[in-house]
Order: sequence, then C-alpha cells, then structure tokens
Amino acid sequence: MEIIIIGLLLGGTYALMAMGLQLQYGVARIMNLANGEVLVAAAFGTFWFFSATQVSPFVALIGIVPLAFVVNWAIYRFLMLPLVKRAKNQGQLEVDSILATFGISFIFIGILLAVFGGDYLSYSYMASPVHLLGETYGLNRIAAFLGSAVLCVGLYVWLNRTRAGLTLRAVAVNPSAASLVSINVVNASALAFALGGAVTAAGGMMLSMFLTFDASLGVIFTLKALVIVIMGGVSDIRGAILAAFILGLTETVVAILVDPGLTLAAAYVLFLIILLVRPQGLFGRRTS
Amino acid sequence: MLEAKNISVFYGRHRAVESASVEIRQNEIVVMLGANGAGKSTFLRAIGGLTPAMKGASVVMDGVNITHRPAHEVVESGIALVPEDRGIFADLTVMENLQLGAHPKRARAHEKENLDRILTLFPRLAERRKQAVRTMSGGERQMVAIGRAMMSAPSILMLDEPSLGLSPLLCSELFRSLTAVKETGMSIFLVEQNAKQSLAIADRGYLLDNGHITGSDTAEALAKDETVQKAYLGAG
Repeated sequence: MEIIIIGLLLGGTYALMAMGLQLQYGVARIMNLANGEVLVAAAFGTFWFFSATQVSPFVALIGIVPLAFVVNWAIYRFLMLPLVKRAKNQGQLEVDSILATFGISFIFIGILLAVFGGDYLSYSYMASPVHLLGETYGLNRIAAFLGSAVLCVGLYVWLNRTRAGLTLRAVAVNPSAASLVSINVVNASALAFALGGAVTAAGGMMLSMFLTFDASLGVIFTLKALVIVIMGGVSDIRGAILAAFILGLTETVVAILVDPGLTLAAAYVLFLIILLVRPQGLFGRRTS
Repeated sequence: MLEAKNISVFYGRHRAVESASVEIRQNEIVVMLGANGAGKSTFLRAIGGLTPAMKGASVVMDGVNITHRPAHEVVESGIALVPEDRGIFADLTVMENLQLGAHPKRARAHEKENLDRILTLFPRLAERRKQAVRTMSGGERQMVAIGRAMMSAPSILMLDEPSLGLSPLLCSELFRSLTAVKETGMSIFLVEQNAKQSLAIADRGYLLDNGHITGSDTAEALAKDETVQKAYLGAG
C-alpha cells in the first residue's frame, strides 16, 4: 500500500512534466532533448527563490512559468523554425531537431553550472510527515502531487474544451488541414512549444520540493518524459497520464523492493517492452 | 469574383501546370476536367496556397490580390479548399471538425447559422456529432470535408475530385448536394474525372491536358463536344 501511494504521488508529478514534452513533440513536432534541462533550471530557480525569500515555492511559479514560456518560444522561433522550414519530411526534422536540442541541452547545463555551481541542491519545505492509511508520507510529496494534478486537469480541460485548445489539437492531428481552416501553423507550433516548456518548468518546480538536484540531472528527466510520451502514445494526453503513473509505480516498486540503483534500468526495460510490443503506445493507433 | 491567371507550377524540373488561367463568377458551378496527372490537383493547391506557384502568376479574389499568400490567409479571402485527401481531422469528432472550419475570422459572425445550414444539408452529420471522423465511411467523410469547408463562410468552394472513392449511389447523392450548396449562394469550382455527372450540374467547364488549358465552354456545349466525349465520356 505504501509503495502504491508513493508511486502514484510520483506518477502525478511525472505526468505534468511529460505533458510538456508531449505538447512539444505532438503539436510542434520537435523532439526536444533539452526538455529536462528546462525542468532542472526551473528546480534551481525555485531553490534560489525559496532560499532567498523563504516564501512558498509555489509562488515561484509566477516567475518561472512565464520565463520558461518566453525562453522556449524564442528557442522555437529562432533555432527550431529554420529546421522546420528546411526539412523535407518528418523524419528529417526529427533527426535535425534531436541533434539541435541535444546541443542546446549542453548550453543549458553550462549556464546552470556557471550560475549555480556543480553541487547537489535541495531545500526543506513542507517536510513534515502526514499520516495516511497507517503510513507516513512527506507533506511536500503530497503538495507536489496536488499541484501537478491541478495543472494537469487545467491543461486537459483547456485543450479539450476551448477553441484555442482545439486549434492546437488540430495542428497535432493534421497540420496541412489546419492551414486550410486559417490556422497559422507556425504560430500555433510556437505556442505549443512555449507552453510545453512552461508546463515542464512547472513540473520542475513541483519535483524540486522533494528531490535533490544537480546541473547534470536534466537528461534523466528528458528520458523519463520520453518513456512516458512513447509509452502513452504521442497524440493522446490520457495515455501519457496513465503511462506516468505506470512509470512512477514501477520506479517505486523497484526502488523499495529490489534496489534503488535499478530504478532507471527498470524504466527502460518497461520502455523496451512497450516499444517492441506496442510501438504506437498504450492508447495510440497505428497511423494509416 | 475569382480570377487566377498565368498559374505555373514546377516540381523540380517537372512541369505540372503551365500558364493556366480560370475565372469563377458569382454563384456558378465550374468544373475542370482532366485525366489523372493532368495537373488538376496542383492547380487547385496553387490557388489555395498549399503549393507555391511560379513568378508571373496572379490570383485576385473579389478585387484583393492573394497571389503567393499562404493557405491560412487565402481562406480569409473567401476561398475554401477541400483537397484530395479531404483535409479533415480524422482523430477529432464531427463537431470539432465543423468548429475548426469556422476558425477563420470571416466565419465567426455567422457560425451558428452556417452550422444549422450544413446540418440541414447533411442530416447524417447531425446524427453523428460526437463520432470520431476516422470511424466514418468514405461518403460521410466527404460530407464532413465539405461541411468543414462551408463553415468558413466561403464565396467559393474548391473541391478536388470529391467523387473519388465513392460508390455510384453516393456519387449521385454528392452531386445533388453540390447543387443544393450552390443554391445557398456559393460558387463551386471542382476538378473531376467524372465528366458525365459533373458536367450535368456545372454551368461552365475547362479542359486541362498535360498542364495546359486546352478548352473552355459552357457545360452543355462541352457535354456535346466530340473531343470531350471521346476523352472523358467514353463515347466513340
């Protein structure tokens, strides 16, 4: 029971970060390998804010989210768009964007090292125990889960119930048809990429409440988000949410019952199985 | 209303369309006939802004020059294109497709009326509002595609081989509904291989052969024309 709850709490936070990558990959069609660095940068920003002010890390979202939005918009507009325009097909764009964003991730790491140094950083906020069904859990983990859940639901409703959200889903489904209904696909993609970065940054803020970070940790979160998005199916947010919980549970089960050192390995075994057995994702359909 | 002049499109060094010109007037159905590979789709895509036309082209819609404008701006001038692949959002529902059709600014003011009109014209769509388009039949998808295009409140509906892949029965139904669309005041410009049924509902026609316009006349005259009968109507 304890394992399940910890796994679910972790999965909820993972879901938020994976939704960021999914917006960037599903709508803007950029496989952003610098996604994890945005998350770590947001975690560092939250650390810095909390250490300096002792005000709730949630307040840091007010600065972090718009900043991540602007930075990611600029990355799309000035670094990705030339690649999009040049690419003759989706395959070429994927190769180019993977190489480019992999490079960008090192630029982020360099900046983080220069600004914050190479130490492991963590802070203590809401670190009090909470009793739930006979076991105790950190209040910060529960707060991170609830914060993530609110943002996930908000994003889901926005995508499915508003005209602007419908526009982004249309671009995800069929960019050429989107242009025929007067959607400016370039602007919509830039918006999705920026929004994805902002959502990932919010995920970084949530994770920073209970994890310890250093500048090199981004790649691990990029890969976790990648596992979730591929497992859940690129085009379906519900799939990603379910996949995030599966990943959270798997990691927790392995860490507690087997060995904490094997969590990443377990995540990849899961990933490989999905890739071999159901490459279109849990909810995905084979493209016709 | 729409004047497209001197449209040339090259794919690499291959010439798909060369200096083709058409004119579409208010409230008429115009058909462009041509064999497979004659350049019909390319011509429509060039007008719609999906495929770049060469220098020297001129597309003027209601006095506004829309030459070389991207697709999302062409729609705002009142031209709605249903491409050969239908241009629909297969993973979304019928209603979502129609809502997206009304995304252009020009469509917003009369969105409700347009929706009612389309659902009256295609009652099938009204029954299946919540269904994902991907799960529907070819004929129903074509209705979604035409409905989606009509939602943008266009002056001209451009259709790329709407009868493609439809059974003879659905074909007749489709051409009947196109006449009904015309009665709402729109013009229709369609390219077709199905000469018989399209000439029957059209006012005028153009012939496109190997990227060139080789003839144009009233639909009646074309239907009687010997070369047309030979080439497209299976006579002789």
